[in-house]
Amino acid sequence: MAHPQIAAFARLADGNAKPVRKIEGQKTLLGRTMHSIVYDEIHDEFVVPQQFGQAILTFRGGADGEEVPVRVIQGSLTQLRNPDRLGLDPVHNEIFVPQGNSVLVFSREAKGNVAPIRVIKGPDTQLGASALAVDPVHDLLVVGGTVRGVGSRLLIFNRTDQGNVKPKAVIGGPKSGLAHISGPFAVYPAKNEIIVSVRGSSNESNEMSSDECFVGVWSTQDNGDVPPRWTIGGPKGVLRMVRGVDLDPKNKSVIVTDKRLNAVLTFYFPEMF
Amino acid sequence: MSRSDRLRRTYPVVFLTLVAVITGWVLVAGNVHLSGLITAVHSALHKPSDSAQLISYDLLPAGAMDDEQCEGAPVNAGSALAADPLKEGIPNSLTARSSAETAPADVSGKKPVRMIRDRYASYSSVAVDPTNNEVVVTDENLFNVLVYNRLDNTPPTAITEPKRAIGGLKTKIEFQSGVYVDPKNGDIYAVNNDTVDTLVVFSREAKGDVRPAREVHTPHGTFGIAVDEEHQELLLTVQHDSAVVTFEKTATSEDAPIRLLQGEHTLLADPHGMALDTNDDLIFVTNHGSVHQVRAGAVAASGRIRESDLRKSNWPLGFSNAIPGSGKNLPPSITVYPRTASGDAAPLRVIQGPKTQMNWPTGIAYDPRSHELFVANDMGDSILVFSASASGDVAPIRVLTGPKTLIKNPTGVYVDANNDELWVANFGNHTATAYKLTAAGDTAPQRVIRSAPRDQPTLSIGNPHPVAYDSKREQLLVPN
Repeated sequence: MAHPQIAAFARLADGNAKPVRKIEGQKTLLGRTMHSIVYDEIHDEFVVPQQFGQAILTFRGGADGEEVPVRVIQGSLTQLRNPDRLGLDPVHNEIFVPQGNSVLVFSREAKGNVAPIRVIKGPDTQLGASALAVDPVHDLLVVGGTVRGVGSRLLIFNRTDQGNVKPKAVIGGPKSGLAHISGPFAVYPAKNEIIVSVRGSSNESNEMSSDECFVGVWSTQDNGDVPPRWTIGGPKGVLRMVRGVDLDPKNKSVIVTDKRLNAVLTFYFPEMF
Repeated sequence: MSRSDRLRRTYPVVFLTLVAVITGWVLVAGNVHLSGLITAVHSALHKPSDSAQLISYDLLPAGAMDDEQCEGAPVNAGSALAADPLKEGIPNSLTARSSAETAPADVSGKKPVRMIRDRYASYSSVAVDPTNNEVVVTDENLFNVLVYNRLDNTPPTAITEPKRAIGGLKTKIEFQSGVYVDPKNGDIYAVNNDTVDTLVVFSREAKGDVRPAREVHTPHGTFGIAVDEEHQELLLTVQHDSAVVTFEKTATSEDAPIRLLQGEHTLLADPHGMALDTNDDLIFVTNHGSVHQVRAGAVAASGRIRESDLRKSNWPLGFSNAIPGSGKNLPPSITVYPRTASGDAAPLRVIQGPKTQMNWPTGIAYDPRSHELFVANDMGDSILVFSASASGDVAPIRVLTGPKTLIKNPTGVYVDANNDELWVANFGNHTATAYKLTAAGDTAPQRVIRSAPRDQPTLSIGNPHPVAYDSKREQLLVPN
């Protein structure tokens, strides 16, 4: 991708609408591979990972133009290897970073070269962590990812777990449809829901565009090979290669990005709110 | 007649009266949006009751719930675009569903109420075919390689019609960030920076949704390309691994690179563009500055690394070999190496520092006659020209920038030595612009190729992976 940026669009923006602001430029420290972004409405900040520089960047909510981050987590103590995605718990002030066979937890207010305050890691965790989301209401941590030979799954931990702990629940299997979790996902604590984008089976013909890709809704109370309660997409849908999701509960909407459409789609989805 | 019957008869009269009054007002006042008109009518009719009533709503854009609108209706779609991802594989029978049909059990066919999407091509790189007098650009928005007449010059209100367009799922074209045209036969080499780890090569005659004439599996995140015709070598920068890989020019399929430049001493840091000086046997690389260190065996291989790649010689070490906590952000730079540099070789020279004015330097081109480097300075909205012998914190010899230049977020640059022209791919405004090679300051282009009328906004969205909803400002945050 030729140009890194974070573009902000009005909620009702449609078509080729002009962004209302952009965060971009050398001083922002942004890199091209931003595979996660979380908005913290309590502290009015947003947080992104910087994979190339192994950093976590926090910006003020109204950041605009070539603005420096208000905090940067980076350095030899951090254990950051390939921070591709992250999750945020604005209530308990923590940032969670999935990193393959581990999950690193930092204080939300951490900056500079700091060690994680907790690490989930070990054979009992069953982690193949590529994305996660925190339910601060029910004190849950939902971790998504793929383990070779096992497939894509959602693992549910207690929010404060650390060390070599077993997940409370595991959602996955052929009925679940969790074939290749696509990107960052969301939880909706009010309804105990997990909203996940799924790319579909991995093969060369599906790499660019797939009828199998969809957004699915599971419950944090699910366990085992459980199909999603709802899906958007699949053969009947408009999605070509779904990536990330986020929620706008006030307007009962699910916001979805699609790589092949190179677009951001908003679905009115009162069924799940 | 009961009171309710009287009310039922009265409502239509009231409604028609209101419509008549408001319509009359529209005719007098003019410039009233339909949504406001409808909202006004409904507000006037709204009465307290025990049953559900429509209180307010956001009017959908015209056709947002039908197939025609979702097709995006790109301008000149018939010929300008080889393929539109919105049309790929979507059943024609798909129609909007009623609320009764969208029962919780199956909402899979639900259609979006809004879709933010740029309808026009966004040019990311540019090259010239001197033999055939054509300009070739890559489009990272609608995923095409577009070929134009070199002498096309399009006014601000119009769109340039390409001679040929290559795009569609068979082509494997998505986020092509670099392009090279073989001066002998017109073959087009297009580098995929993301999503498809494949360098695709097309013949000059290729158009539409066709398979590449040749494919080379590459490391993930290749960006810039330079080809050494004398030695028949093809060089690619690799963003993710801060590396340069060299293949034989005729490489195909799973061929391994013949050289690898990677390591802490190289000072490669999120490398982008690359230029070649064949007289002095040098390569020039632009770097955005973010980097981490890698070490063989640092951790077990994992992630998207393919086992077969790990067995290849000269394959760069990836994130699975990253040293945790080694990341840093360096100032932007141009690093200079011998053409055959390999391993963890230090650069011969580095151009870096505040005097350089570099801010996300991206594309780079070299003019052997003037011994000058032309740098597409993305966030400076400028082309920076340096002596190719420059070193350290030096100011550019000249800078091409300003509103008359039309340069906006330039990511690609090309020196057309045959015609003494400089071409710029402006990712930020749907244009590719041509200048004299000596142009400086706020100089208007000699010619402009446009994928959109000038008044159309440029979104610059590219592989929007995550999204976040800013509930305070009611905004969608969309990173590339």
